[in-house]
Amino acid sequence: MKVKCPECGAEFDVPDDVIVGEVVTCPDCGLELEVAKIEAGNVELKPVQVAGEDWGE
Amino acid sequence: MQQKTFVVKIGGSILKSGFPESFLKDLKSLYEHDKVVLVHGGADLVTQTAKAMGKEQKFIVSPDGMRSRYTDKETMEVYTMVMAGKINKQLVAWLQSYGIRAVGVSGVDGFLLRAIRKKKLIVLDERGRKIAIDGGYTGKIEAVNKEFLEALLNLRYLPVVAPIAMDDEYQLLNVDSDRAAAYIAGALKADAIVICTDVEGVIIGETVRRKMSVEEAKKNLEVIGHGMKKKVYAAVEALQMGVKEVVITSGLKEEPMTQALNHEVGTLIVYE
Repeated sequence: MKVKCPECGAEFDVPDDVIVGEVVTCPDCGLELEVAKIEAGNVELKPVQVAGEDWGE
Repeated sequence: MQQKTFVVKIGGSILKSGFPESFLKDLKSLYEHDKVVLVHGGADLVTQTAKAMGKEQKFIVSPDGMRSRYTDKETMEVYTMVMAGKINKQLVAWLQSYGIRAVGVSGVDGFLLRAIRKKKLIVLDERGRKIAIDGGYTGKIEAVNKEFLEALLNLRYLPVVAPIAMDDEYQLLNVDSDRAAAYIAGALKADAIVICTDVEGVIIGETVRRKMSVEEAKKNLEVIGHGMKKKVYAAVEALQMGVKEVVITSGLKEEPMTQALNHEVGTLIVYE
């Protein structure tokens, strides 16, 4: 499936079995993007917001 | 001789069959000459207790290979109970039985550890693909109230810290104890951290590395196992925050801290 990076506008492919919550990386700007919605074959992406690594005990 | 400041991290793996007497004796001798903060872990006991209460624990792996507990609300309650309750208070009692003026605190007390809650965690799913999930109750430490610790240390108390932090909404968070030790040591500009575990140091291949620079430590993160990776990561952070040296060593040996600080055992990691 074709998707568009919301940051840089680059178009790229994601696997057909992609699911909501999955994280993909824009090949152009390198931004990590989370699949926010899949509707009628349209995949909506949003940047993933995470604080730095700290994973508790 | 000028007093030095040391942070000692004791892993739960060492405490499985009580507090080793050699460790207690050595901690006492360190405490008699210098300022010491003890940070403890205890993840295994949290898992056991949660299981006994009918709450199975889920573990997740980050894309960087960090393995950790998925802390939902109920798990956070068990975590607080075990860490700030059973483990922390038992340690304080053991230390006091040795004549050490120990005070048990968690990162919540006196605003000791402030953290930012992770809104999302990225984990690998069963297909090996990255998935963003709700962050649960874990956090990244942002600030340490060093004045609180310094006040206790100046009164000749030995603070025993449970790895729980608080976010800006006063929510309790599970934070990694090695990282907590690193941030506390960084804030105090400690002379050293001794991370005591149940193996002799950082093992690469089949050999215990005696000394590593920050660059070597970073370069080898990929080949170091899950549990040790967090310690090495914490060591690098501590050194970057101004701690002079970090030794990762076995807490089950005779005089574990003294020998580690004399560079006779363990893996010494320094900024060079």
